[in-house]
Amino acid sequence: MSGTLLAVERLNLAFVSAGQRVPVINNLTFSVAPGESLAVVGRSGSGKSTLLNLLCGLQTPDDGVIAIDNESFGNASDAVSIARWAELRRQLIGVVFQQANLMPALSLVDNVRLRTHLAGRHKQDERWWLQRLGVGDQADRYPDRVSGGQAQRAALAMVFAMSPSLILADEPTGSLDRHTADEVAESLFNVQVETGCALVLATHDSELAACCGRVLDLSAAG
Amino acid sequence: MLIRAFLSHYQRHPFQLAALMLMIVLATMLWTGVTVLTDQARSSLAQSEETVAARAHIVRTDGQPVGVEDFVRLRKTGVCVAPWLEVKRPAPEGQVIGVDPMSMACFGRSAPIQDAASLDGMPFMDIGDALRVSQEGYDSQLYLIAPRDDIELPQGYALRAFSLAPPTGELADSFLLNLDALSLLVLLITGLLIRSVYRLGLVQREASFELLYRFGVLPRRIRQLLVLELVVLTAVGVPPGLWLGASLAEALGTGFGQALGSLFDLTLYAESFGSLPWRAAVVMVALVLTVCLLEWVFPQPRQPAMVSAYARLGGGALLLAGALGVVLATELVWVFAGTALVFAGVGLLTPPLLAAVEERRSVRSGATASVADPLRRWRARELSVMFRQLALPVVALQFSIAAVLAVHALVTTFESTFEQWLGQRLAADFYIEVPQGGDSATAARRLNALEGLGTWHLVAHGKAQVRPEEAGTGADPLTADLMALTPITDLVSDWALLSSAERPWRELASGAVMVNEQLARRHDVEVGSPLELTIAGTRMRTNVVGIYADYGRPVAEVLLHADTLPAAFTPRSESFSVNKGELSRDVIHDRLADTWGAPDLQVRDNASIRELASQIFDQTFLLTRAISALTLVLAAVALLIMIWVFFTTRVWYFRLLGVWGLQGHQVRRQLRLLSVRLTLTITAAALPLGIWLTWVLVNRINPLAFGWSLPMDLYPVFWLELGLMAGAAGLLVAHLMRRQLERDANGERP
Repeated sequence: MSGTLLAVERLNLAFVSAGQRVPVINNLTFSVAPGESLAVVGRSGSGKSTLLNLLCGLQTPDDGVIAIDNESFGNASDAVSIARWAELRRQLIGVVFQQANLMPALSLVDNVRLRTHLAGRHKQDERWWLQRLGVGDQADRYPDRVSGGQAQRAALAMVFAMSPSLILADEPTGSLDRHTADEVAESLFNVQVETGCALVLATHDSELAACCGRVLDLSAAG
Repeated sequence: MLIRAFLSHYQRHPFQLAALMLMIVLATMLWTGVTVLTDQARSSLAQSEETVAARAHIVRTDGQPVGVEDFVRLRKTGVCVAPWLEVKRPAPEGQVIGVDPMSMACFGRSAPIQDAASLDGMPFMDIGDALRVSQEGYDSQLYLIAPRDDIELPQGYALRAFSLAPPTGELADSFLLNLDALSLLVLLITGLLIRSVYRLGLVQREASFELLYRFGVLPRRIRQLLVLELVVLTAVGVPPGLWLGASLAEALGTGFGQALGSLFDLTLYAESFGSLPWRAAVVMVALVLTVCLLEWVFPQPRQPAMVSAYARLGGGALLLAGALGVVLATELVWVFAGTALVFAGVGLLTPPLLAAVEERRSVRSGATASVADPLRRWRARELSVMFRQLALPVVALQFSIAAVLAVHALVTTFESTFEQWLGQRLAADFYIEVPQGGDSATAARRLNALEGLGTWHLVAHGKAQVRPEEAGTGADPLTADLMALTPITDLVSDWALLSSAERPWRELASGAVMVNEQLARRHDVEVGSPLELTIAGTRMRTNVVGIYADYGRPVAEVLLHADTLPAAFTPRSESFSVNKGELSRDVIHDRLADTWGAPDLQVRDNASIRELASQIFDQTFLLTRAISALTLVLAAVALLIMIWVFFTTRVWYFRLLGVWGLQGHQVRRQLRLLSVRLTLTITAAALPLGIWLTWVLVNRINPLAFGWSLPMDLYPVFWLELGLMAGAAGLLVAHLMRRQLERDANGERP
């Protein structure tokens, strides 16, 4: 799998509901190259968020392999795997959710500072990143004192500031109005291209999905 | 359907409902326990006063105690008089009073007992039975009482207002005031706690109320449902609390009886707890409804008013005014008022102060970028938010810890001081009472002749009239107990005196006197003060050379050398305190028995007396200790609930730490650090308040209430113990949260 940052092979995951096995991810195989962007689309409940959780080790598959930067993970949930996934999330994988990406007790800049600290980066360029994402003037405000769009920009600044190789974004503009969503998406793609990190974007927004290099439709997959 | 939607929050969070119920039950239990005990004390004291009210007793003008021959003489001259024999038994049996119903016939309606059925020993019994009880070794005192204080008496007799003991009304009132203040503190703390738990639930339900409003449900209807819900909760929670409180009061009743007995020489008359205390129920229902419904009358912003700038200013002013009041007050009630103001001020100041300290820590941890730890900064900021949002339970816990600290310091100091005092009072191995008609002087000579005997002294007890010369000749003399010693040996010369002249014991032998602290405080007597003493009709002038501690009884007492006593003095009782030295107890007993021609002497072993006295005083403060400990438990449970509920609302952010790459054990560590620091900080904040409260109890309330003071001792080991308990509570919360984090692996986004 050389030349790929993320490789997923025959991934399977099912939930058990009322005694019935309900498959969520069914024999899924795909890969993402460094710097590439991939949109994961599908109807509600098709497993977009679950897939992103699997890709950063927050959930464990029933079967299959996930390889990140040539390091393979199966369905083992032993302490070593858990610790390794945590290290990858700290240093290589940036995760952005639809909302609540920031610690409410910390200012925007302190949130970025905390995230980069955990990533082991000490460049002290937090304000620069907030500036770059258009919320530099809000750096010292708290998350509940800025708009939803500004909070999402700060969350993106936080992720980019840690210099990740892979960004997993789960409906990052889902809670924003169209105009703000477009602005946030534009910032996301621009900086992603600039930094050269890969992006896996889960969305039900076809316009947003179209901005990505490739589209993976979970409704059709498997 | 609407009610179901309305209650859906509790379906989802049954623990919150259980917590609120638990708070109501515990608070009712505590309040009921305290009020039942206070009411019982009040009615017992009232009964005591009623028993002795509006009567007089007859004394001999020559100062000698009255006896049977006086009774006969008075009855022969047509005076209505009846014997009244008090036998002082300790609790739980308590004091009994022997009366003769036949001789009380002339008392008419003012007779303390109206029929023979009342002679059941609670407290009255037939005088013959009481005499038998007194012969079991209890102190007794015979009075001749008269129905009125305006009757004519033959020469040689005088009427005195009848009081069973020195004036105890003020002391008893002070004791009840202490209990009332403790009750109010308990009510304040429980009110704060119930309000905080209820309010937290309400804040979390705001969104669902908003949704109901959007669906067309009028706010008025929502409020009606909230009131209904609260009424149901109160109706379900208060009755078990009442029952538990009544049981608690019953369990503590014995100790309380001993407290009254030992502190005030008053008997806690037997009284049934009877039915459930409905008055306490009404207060509790009113409290719950008031503190909870206050929300609708004065809706509060999410950030409690306690952290506003005005509140801080007001808090500072209250603190200052209260502290000044406590220092300058000369009456107990004002000391309590000042203390209440200080508590209010501290309550207003503590949450913003702690929040500011954490804020400062967070700034400091970010200022030095090279060593900056953003996680530390995050924790400091989280704590700052928590101190603001959990202001009410934080303050409640702080008050409870402070009360526990102060009560512990007071009680422990009292115990150790009392132990020391008992040690000096009961320094001899045993004491032997001189029997009726026994010649103590001959016995003393024979003891002197005994080879190998240790040190000993003879103590004669009686009464004296005391008037400080500075009070002027017009002032009423005070009746004090008299204790005359001879010879002065190391049984007394090692006493630790509160204050003394140089060589006080030598001065005593030269005719000076010592007084107990009670007398000194009540009559502003100091070392060097001149005193006028009247003993057996002989007036003498002397001066005070020492003041000694005398805990437990409010009676004034004068100590002098037996050589100072006038010849006319007849002691009420005499005893020898003896260290046996190389001899056995039997040898000494036999020598004295032979001297007096009485084969069976009353010998009391001081070690057993000491043990009995220690047991009584251990019980004395059981009540205050139990109440303060229960208040602490209540506050700790409330804080536990509040921190847990608060953390539950932050679960997502702990989950976010995991998303950012912290491993499970690292996230749990953050949780532990946060919760333990929170509980420890509250304990630390309670410390100055606890020390101050100790000072108030020891130096202000105790002297005003009881007439004696204690040294101001602090107990850092107990602080450490409380700190450990607080740390354990923090760890418990962290453990509960860990389970919550594991159960809800995906977390709930806010």
